[in-house]
Amino acid sequence: MLAYILRRLLWSVFLLLVVSFLVFLIFYLLPSADPAKIRAGRVQDPDVIAAITRQLHLDRPWYEQYLFYLKDLVLHFDFGRSYLTNTSVRSEIFGRLPATISLALGAAVIWLLVGLPIGVVSAVKRGTLWDRLAMGGALVAISAPVYWLGLVSIFIFSSDFGLIPIFDTNGNYTDIWNDPGQWLSSLVLPWLVLATSFAAIYARFMRSNLVEVLDEDYIRTARAKGLRERRVIFRHGVRSAITPIVTIFGLDLGILFGGAILTESVFNIPGIGRAAFSAIQKADMPIIQGTVLIGAMGIILLNLLVDVLYAFLDPRVRY
Amino acid sequence: MRPIPLRRLLPALIASSALVAAGCGSGGGSSSGAGGSEAPGGAKAGQGRQGGELTDLWASDVDHLDPGQAYYQSSINIERAVNRALYSFSPKDGTNAIPDLADGQPEISQDSKTITVHLRKGVRYAPPVNREVKAQDVKYAIERSFTTNVTGPYAGVYFAEVEGAPAKPVAISALKPFSGLQTPDDYTLVIKLTKPVAQRVAAALVMPITVPVPEDYARKFDAKSPTDYDQYTAFSGPYMVVNDPKTGEVTGHQQQQKIELVRNPNWVKSTDYRPAFLDKIHIQEGNTDQVVAARRTLSGDGLICCDSGQPPTTILRQALTRNKNQLGQTPGGGTRWVAMNTKIKPFDNLNLRKAVIAGFNRNELRRTRGGKIVGPIAQGYIPPGLPGFDESGGLEGFTDLDWMQNPDGDPALAKKYFDAAGKDGVPVSNGRYAGSQKLLMITTNAQPGLKTAQVAASEFERLGFKLDVRKVPQDVLYTKFCGVPKAEVAICPNVGWQKDFYDAQAMLQPTFDGNAILPSNNSNWSQLDDKKINDGIAAATTLGGAERDKAFADINRQIVEQAPAIPFIWDDQFQLEASNVQAVTNPYDGIWDLAFTSLK
Amino acid sequence: MSIGAANLLRGGDGPAEIEPTDAAEARIAARSPLELFLRRLRRDKVAMTALVFIVALVLVAILAPLIVKLVGAPGPQTRDPSTLDDFGIPVSGRGGGAFASGHPFGTDDIGRDVFSRTLYGARVSLEVAFIATTASVVVGVVLGMVAGYFRGWVDTLLSRIMDVQLAFPVLILAIGLGAACSLGNGCFGGLLKPGKAVVILVIALAQWPYMARIIRGQTLSLREKEFIEAARSIGASDRRIIFREILPNLIAPIIVYSTVLIPTNILFEAALSFLGVGVQEPTPSWGAMISEATDVFDVAWWFMLFPGLALLFTVLAFNLVGDGLQDALNPRGKK
Repeated sequence: MLAYILRRLLWSVFLLLVVSFLVFLIFYLLPSADPAKIRAGRVQDPDVIAAITRQLHLDRPWYEQYLFYLKDLVLHFDFGRSYLTNTSVRSEIFGRLPATISLALGAAVIWLLVGLPIGVVSAVKRGTLWDRLAMGGALVAISAPVYWLGLVSIFIFSSDFGLIPIFDTNGNYTDIWNDPGQWLSSLVLPWLVLATSFAAIYARFMRSNLVEVLDEDYIRTARAKGLRERRVIFRHGVRSAITPIVTIFGLDLGILFGGAILTESVFNIPGIGRAAFSAIQKADMPIIQGTVLIGAMGIILLNLLVDVLYAFLDPRVRY
Repeated sequence: MRPIPLRRLLPALIASSALVAAGCGSGGGSSSGAGGSEAPGGAKAGQGRQGGELTDLWASDVDHLDPGQAYYQSSINIERAVNRALYSFSPKDGTNAIPDLADGQPEISQDSKTITVHLRKGVRYAPPVNREVKAQDVKYAIERSFTTNVTGPYAGVYFAEVEGAPAKPVAISALKPFSGLQTPDDYTLVIKLTKPVAQRVAAALVMPITVPVPEDYARKFDAKSPTDYDQYTAFSGPYMVVNDPKTGEVTGHQQQQKIELVRNPNWVKSTDYRPAFLDKIHIQEGNTDQVVAARRTLSGDGLICCDSGQPPTTILRQALTRNKNQLGQTPGGGTRWVAMNTKIKPFDNLNLRKAVIAGFNRNELRRTRGGKIVGPIAQGYIPPGLPGFDESGGLEGFTDLDWMQNPDGDPALAKKYFDAAGKDGVPVSNGRYAGSQKLLMITTNAQPGLKTAQVAASEFERLGFKLDVRKVPQDVLYTKFCGVPKAEVAICPNVGWQKDFYDAQAMLQPTFDGNAILPSNNSNWSQLDDKKINDGIAAATTLGGAERDKAFADINRQIVEQAPAIPFIWDDQFQLEASNVQAVTNPYDGIWDLAFTSLK
Repeated sequence: MSIGAANLLRGGDGPAEIEPTDAAEARIAARSPLELFLRRLRRDKVAMTALVFIVALVLVAILAPLIVKLVGAPGPQTRDPSTLDDFGIPVSGRGGGAFASGHPFGTDDIGRDVFSRTLYGARVSLEVAFIATTASVVVGVVLGMVAGYFRGWVDTLLSRIMDVQLAFPVLILAIGLGAACSLGNGCFGGLLKPGKAVVILVIALAQWPYMARIIRGQTLSLREKEFIEAARSIGASDRRIIFREILPNLIAPIIVYSTVLIPTNILFEAALSFLGVGVQEPTPSWGAMISEATDVFDVAWWFMLFPGLALLFTVLAFNLVGDGLQDALNPRGKK
């Protein structure tokens, strides 16, 4: 077990290296503006620009620049500084993590609580009107773009001008330790909107898994033994149908920890996704690298977690 | 997003005589200031209720807290609350600076080569520095701006004549004390200049470059390159950004997220003209959706907005019809236009350019920014309020230039000029342009500039032009395209210029002087290079008084005659406040002055 | 099960693509002749309706200029300033404003007709989605077959590449690429010009690994079948086996997953345009329209609503067809 975890850990580290290298390469090869000029601001003096170019190591070959970056990252967990504002990328990203995590976790709770039960009921009542309506509805939810759904929901529910003015949609996000009430009220609608398509996917996934499981021999055996249907479905069916969902859940959550750009933009939530987006627009390389790396870390770590968890959950997995 | 490029905030450089004449405004209660800026609620600046908290909604962040690096409008806005330069502008008067850290007006020697400034006593830094501000701190502040570690944006531009200042920025380790900055005692700064330009340098003492920086504390941060002082700024104003009282690390600023201002416990009210009513000010950033920010402000409590100029038109409409007393409106002192690159075919043809302006619907361009309520149609490049405006025909402009006369577009007149261009060999047919090459047009990706660009594009297409339109972020628009002649952009629809100070030269020279064309960071977007205009500007620079205004009005006319661009609005600036806020705009830059704003 | 459903913009706000491991094998086992498949599909009324909708949509996109003319609406670039008020805001009102005659869906923030822009928007959506899907399918199928057939180091390498991509916040990467290539004279030294080509490339780049994974899995199990053994024993070349023996057996899953990729890619394009790194001005795109509408949607709801609905219905139709195809291919999953 330990060896397995170690092996996976090593692979994760390797993956991170590759990702950081690729990001570096891509944004080195495709710069949309000269960082030294950006940094120079008003003083567009060639000497000043040259000096900044040297300061930022921009005059070195790309692989040396990458090694500088890597050294700081590994030795000091330092992601560098913004080209534009010279603030530390690490503090910039960690300052935004609470917003991103709040959004992701809240939405995750909702989509699990809504999606999974719907999936179970649909699988059990396979072919009924309920099943069709639920699955049809799920497909609609999957087809709606999240930012549009966000706008429509603001139009309907905004406390300022909405048709049913019940939610504060004014981008009042504040960290939970500042004002839990405001934190909650600013996130309810984003949670619901972000959770919509996920809930739909999870419902469909749960349903199809459960349908397959319920056709398995051991379920028939359990039924033949005369166990109560409820017990069969929950103790045997759902339990094994939910295992693959854990994998997906880990991946989804990992991705969202890297920032939900679209939801964050529509609802004005100061998360990592927004930071990444604005950095991309301004060619602020260190921030882009930092956000992509943090995103990748989220994905890789949660994958690792899920794999380990899996090993415990499912004895068939060998490590 | 301000379409005005690198916001230059340099008022009163030329009007330096006025500076000397301005009265001392300490003890902000006085309401006798000239041209008092009226708060929307009707109250005079300087009166308000003590205490309370305010939240200011911003879209973006300051570029720097370090006064040596601060450059953009938003940074200057914060500096005004947390730091004190030698001189500054009170909301009562945006044209004449008053002593701030200084104790009285600058003393200028007969030969105009020496400036002596006396500092107030009893001004103290916020924790962790705590000690009193001394003249040496201002000296160091100016010196450090000349290093590559800081690269102060105003250093070389306005203080190059200080004796001993390096011609190019140097590393801080190689920095030698300037012989031209002397501090005979702790409260006296003597500035010696190599040229007789003391009036101008004295006027530039309003820039944040003169905000004191305590060398004993800051040196270790400045040793890094670039400097760390942004994260360890020492504050001398009525407010400070929340910091660690031991190390001085600024903890209250999270990039693109927030800036937390609290009272500077060491601030002594009797040393300052700012009333500083509020106890706490939260700058909440990332409100990129201006509709949301503006609406939140109108319906909220203790809120003001918006850092980036004009609120969206839907909000403007709502505010003007329903919440009129929550709107601050100040003349923008700027002109916006659609630049045609006179170096690129077919815009190298004067008749064609005239045809375009004659046929263009400038009213529709203006409507993309909120229509007539936002400001008059620009008829030239000197905006209302600046010297030379009346001499340029005022709001009517030059009534004899027929292509400027119909802001709705005049197809018949356009045809006349198109035909004339046709005679010059430009492909035209039927009152339209008939060339087949695609013209590169670079537009901003943010509203309302995007709308302006869309309308401009469709107007150009209506007149027969074929376009290759590229949408880019505002920064990129200037740094990579419109400001770089090599990029060969044919049309820049989102450009404009705001007064640097109250003088026409600052409007016309950077934007239409052929000698001002730069390989990068260029602001003569039309790349107009007309000898008569260039010479005219050079000659007018030395003039003064009515003669000067007349001369620049003439240059203004010559520029309009060259038809290098389509000017379409002289717009006002709008700011919003919640109904329980008594906000005060500072006419110096047209945005709320935090140190004068209070709650009702 | 439906992977299609997992529309999504990995790295963005959409759920992760779901990897159909067990079901993929089940599908091979249940593989049935094309005829059977088509018959099942024809019985699926919902899928058939959706298919009709898609065909109609394609026609609408192609015939957009004609339809706009028939309806009497102005073209997508024509501004009608009379629909804006003094502030330049589209107004609604009886017998005038944004819904004045000839504007069935109202007008946008500079007076352009939302109806014709929505119709023309279908062109961009479908064009980008079809081409990007084709590109990612071709690349994914070829590489997937190669990996699955030859196994060994080729397989290891390709699989690792896919792993790396899985660990990538792809939407951020796509925006980065899009922004880099949309600014200025394009990227790769000006080879790639801003516009549709960039969007297509970015999407194809992000999507091929999913196709490759699926095809690899299928190829792995196919290569162990008797008929492949037989072909090999009579001396058929690898290339012949891959293209003549294996590929035909993959047609059905390729079609199914392509159908699933199309709506994903439509949403992808719209998201990129919404974020401002998609197709260039003034080409109407649904994502860009929604983005432009965000400033006025509280007073001009129509500007946001119609492109959004168009997007919703189009994606839904493709998803329904994709579902139908999968059910027809794998009836066990149904009921």
